[in-house]
Amino acid sequence: MHAIRWMVLSLCLWMGVGLASPQAHAQTPAGAAPTALMAAPVALTRPGRVGTGTINGADTAWMMTSTALVLLMTLPGIALFYGGMVRRKSVLNVMACVVAICAIVSLLWFALGYSIAFTPGSGLLGHFMGGPERLWFGGLDYARDAQQVAVSHIAPNIPESVYSMFQLSFAIITAALVVGSFVERMRFSATLIFIAMWTVVVYAPIAHWVWEPNGWLARLGALDFAGGSVVHINAGVAGLVCAYALGPRKGYGREPFSPFNLGLTMAGAGLLWVGWFGFNAGSAVAADGRAGLAMAVTHIAASAGALSWMAAEWLARGRPSLLGLCSGLVAGLVAITPAAGYVSPGSAVIFGLVAGVACYWGATGLKRLLNADDSLDVFGVHGIGGIVGSLLTGIFASKTISGVEGSVLIQFVGVACVMIYSLVMTSLLLWITSRFVSLRVSEVAESDGLDIDQHAERLGS
Amino acid sequence: MSLSEKMAIAAHLHVLLRRKTGRVTDTEWMATNPAYAQEVIRLAREKSAEGDHDELGVLADRLEHAMAWADRPVPRPLAQRVSEAAKEHNARVLAVGAAAALESGGDSAFGESQMGPDGTPRRDAARYIKGLR
Repeated sequence: MHAIRWMVLSLCLWMGVGLASPQAHAQTPAGAAPTALMAAPVALTRPGRVGTGTINGADTAWMMTSTALVLLMTLPGIALFYGGMVRRKSVLNVMACVVAICAIVSLLWFALGYSIAFTPGSGLLGHFMGGPERLWFGGLDYARDAQQVAVSHIAPNIPESVYSMFQLSFAIITAALVVGSFVERMRFSATLIFIAMWTVVVYAPIAHWVWEPNGWLARLGALDFAGGSVVHINAGVAGLVCAYALGPRKGYGREPFSPFNLGLTMAGAGLLWVGWFGFNAGSAVAADGRAGLAMAVTHIAASAGALSWMAAEWLARGRPSLLGLCSGLVAGLVAITPAAGYVSPGSAVIFGLVAGVACYWGATGLKRLLNADDSLDVFGVHGIGGIVGSLLTGIFASKTISGVEGSVLIQFVGVACVMIYSLVMTSLLLWITSRFVSLRVSEVAESDGLDIDQHAERLGS
Repeated sequence: MSLSEKMAIAAHLHVLLRRKTGRVTDTEWMATNPAYAQEVIRLAREKSAEGDHDELGVLADRLEHAMAWADRPVPRPLAQRVSEAAKEHNARVLAVGAAAALESGGDSAFGESQMGPDGTPRRDAARYIKGLR
């Protein structure tokens, strides 16, 4: 407990120092003299200021909408999706984890994560992590009198405040996804400490590798339009590591762990489906034809995934289930995520059909093989779905649509490297967390339920 | 030889026996029960010899030959075979799970009773063991 208080106070102190320091104020990129208005945007290679007249209003409006959609996927999408699947006694704990993660990741993102992920860095290190240009809430400027606004070199058509918020929503949902693997047994304080470190040390660097033009996987040619590897494979592997590290829940494999309310899960799945339009179509960073195509293929893949999981389950178990439909649609959405801006609608059907069956196996047969209590099948759905989607992207990416061709080999390299890094670093961070607090609640607490033990709250009678 | 082929021969013999001798037989039983088929064959040959009904003898020989072969299985569609195999496997898995759950005690310490209101195991008692899906 003393260690936790010390860490929280230290975090607040450092963040306060960062906010007050000169680095918190806007910086003009070296060599670029500030002018009131620029007729045309300079080709930026790192974040900088441009004239407000160069911003595209339609793109900005769409990106703000996409940000809200993706945040809705987490709050309350994931909260409902997961909350409905756990047992009654831990529903509130799951929801509290999601809300707290949203808050803590948000602050860490602007303090550290965004700069690590989306600035080019320098030298060889710049291929693996970003530089300090946007540390400690820096950048994101809007200067009314000078008629200038900060933009990212990756998205010069929209304000950097919008772009960084959009990317933040991805960081939030990735962290929230991991929660599904260790529900009903991980201590709340341990969750916060672990997720805080994980966002900065695991998520941000991987995002830099894949999405920053100077990132080594981006330079290699790995295709990941909206986060198949950055979000889903990363979260899936991290979840699996957490499941192994914490061990199974008491009674796992002997007693049925009935979900609290699959109606909540369905409501969450609906929010995920709709919100994913912002996730994938928003990754076009423009309100244009490519975003429209991404929206269409997202919807098609979700539909195909729902039906193919349903078919597999109907065949294997004799009856389709609501949970299967919800899981299948998510599987389809996960698989199309890396490919949304590269493939045709016809290919999207294949993504969904394959992912539905593959993720059904991931959540059943593979889960038995792995013998880990991945409570809500984070690896089975997000990990396997992300792997399937990433590899299929190498096959189906169309040069006509995107201007690039896919390579299964390069996709495989990207997938493998993300998996290895996530596995190793998640293990390390769990170990570090365990030095400060116990990862797991006591047996009595687990029996009573985490709502009462961790939050002194319970659902209504 | 398939069952349907045996049924066809038996039906033909049934019709002839009834027409020539007035004897009524059970066609389906004739095609599926070897002992009954043998008796009908004996009767058909006896009536063939008595009344000079050669065709009865011919059919009796054909039925005897057909009954010597085991029934050829009726081909089922692949999807049906896969589905039945999966259901059998799933039923075995669920049965093992349900048995294990019941052995551990009827009511779970974690809130959910595995027994229904009538005292019999709930249909979904084994569903959420070792996985939600």
